[in-house]
Amino acid sequence: MKKIVITSLVIFTVMSCSPTRFVKPLAKRQQAVNLSLGGALISYSKLTIPMPFVTATYGYGIDSTLTAFGSLNVTSLVYGNAQFELGITKQLLQQSGAWPGVSINPVANIIYRNKDASKIYPEIDINAFWDYNHKRNFFYLGVSNWFELSGKRAYDQQQEHHWLFTPMIGETFVRKKWNYNIELKVIAPNIANNTSTVDYKTPFGTHGAFGIYIGCTRKF
Amino acid sequence: MKTSRIFSLSIFTMVICSVGCLRLDDNLFNANANKITKYELNNYKGEVDFKLDQTYGIPANLVSLFTLTSKGADEAAGTKIYAVYIGDTTRISTDTVIMYCHGNKDHLDFYWPRAQLLANTNGKNRYGVLMVDYRGYGLSEGKPSESALFTDVDAGLQWLKSKGLTGERLMMYGFSLGSVPATKLTAEPRSLRPSKIILEAPIASSEAMVQDASALALPGSFFTDLKINNADLIKTVQQPFMWIHGTEDHFLNIKTQGEVVYNNYKGPNKEAHKIAGAGHSNVPVYFPFQQYLVAVGAFIRKKF
Repeated sequence: MKKIVITSLVIFTVMSCSPTRFVKPLAKRQQAVNLSLGGALISYSKLTIPMPFVTATYGYGIDSTLTAFGSLNVTSLVYGNAQFELGITKQLLQQSGAWPGVSINPVANIIYRNKDASKIYPEIDINAFWDYNHKRNFFYLGVSNWFELSGKRAYDQQQEHHWLFTPMIGETFVRKKWNYNIELKVIAPNIANNTSTVDYKTPFGTHGAFGIYIGCTRKF
Repeated sequence: MKTSRIFSLSIFTMVICSVGCLRLDDNLFNANANKITKYELNNYKGEVDFKLDQTYGIPANLVSLFTLTSKGADEAAGTKIYAVYIGDTTRISTDTVIMYCHGNKDHLDFYWPRAQLLANTNGKNRYGVLMVDYRGYGLSEGKPSESALFTDVDAGLQWLKSKGLTGERLMMYGFSLGSVPATKLTAEPRSLRPSKIILEAPIASSEAMVQDASALALPGSFFTDLKINNADLIKTVQQPFMWIHGTEDHFLNIKTQGEVVYNNYKGPNKEAHKIAGAGHSNVPVYFPFQQYLVAVGAFIRKKF
């Protein structure tokens, strides 16, 4: 039996279905709606494409250093699962010269299908960002960390992985009403990708997957 | 809220609701990755897992390609599927026969070397070998599904029964996806009750596959409605069980898939063959061929 090409494409990338929500907090009482598209690169019909994950996010600036947000993974919804994220962006450090601004995103990832099938994954992202070009752009890098809390998997076997980290870099183009974003991720480089049914395309050999995401944000 | 917004929201909701049951079940079936217009068996030049030399060749007069009508109890009409029998069809009433349930890819041509190899167990054409193309595979009509696997393999068993085979001389062999109908029809026999079962690189369950692919302890139902659960089903199997698995199987992991099935077997007689260095598709190569045939042959002959 060769690769079951698409079977679990969605699965490995459940933990990386969207770019980082808000690297920088919104202004106080500012609202924003973001739509992003992208995912892990996979082989599909002799082409290498990013998984077409669509995520919609709403954010609200509680104050100038704290933004609350909620996301809905539209692609998961298509599969009959309600996957949403609730979290905040908290800016810890202001940019100072070459020293970047630093923010964190504690997030609860909730996936619900029915009363017998639901999961919660805590996540915490740590981001460093640099404004430049008169704040018309900012570049960022960071690490997203997912945590699997279950100690057991099917048939009472030991759950092997509890920490899945994803380094990423991104660039945001800031305009008056709109932001445009592109982000690259190395998804779970600590996990072998040749033990699954998916033909991931990654320059990193037999571990992890490589993701590309684009997004746009409308600010109100 | 403006009317246009309400309309847009309604459309969005309707679309989501209408596609909300999209599942990944169909992707389990990789039928006809390499399409064929006719079965060529010995003359097939397409991709195969391994090739055999001429010493394993089968005389043409002992190869029968034919069609069967596969019809489930809940189906109004039958579906035409293809089958190949290696052996003398006039001796099925006295021969031992291996029902070979193939994997998820392609068709009979792809798995022909595997069936041919098994036809050399305990000597050339000592045992008959039957292999069917599940519906949607090769030139078989219809669409693959989990329930159709059982119906299609049972159609093969009905044919064997009609030729005089009894369960005592029926050996069930399932490779990879084929482990699903092999386990099901051994645990819950329909036309014939197999006397022994051999599983090569079996699936534990659809949920275990989801978890292997995600590295997370996700419920399988997030992505699939498949009910595949060999690991539970094998608990009810009492017939002798032989398990073969490559230690380097990166498709169906030996520990999270095969070993679970093996450990869950509660019957009185089981044996394991972990083949060092073998992956998913080359277990007989790494065994290697002769030792593979010796092991399978010994299991078939062994009195339990």
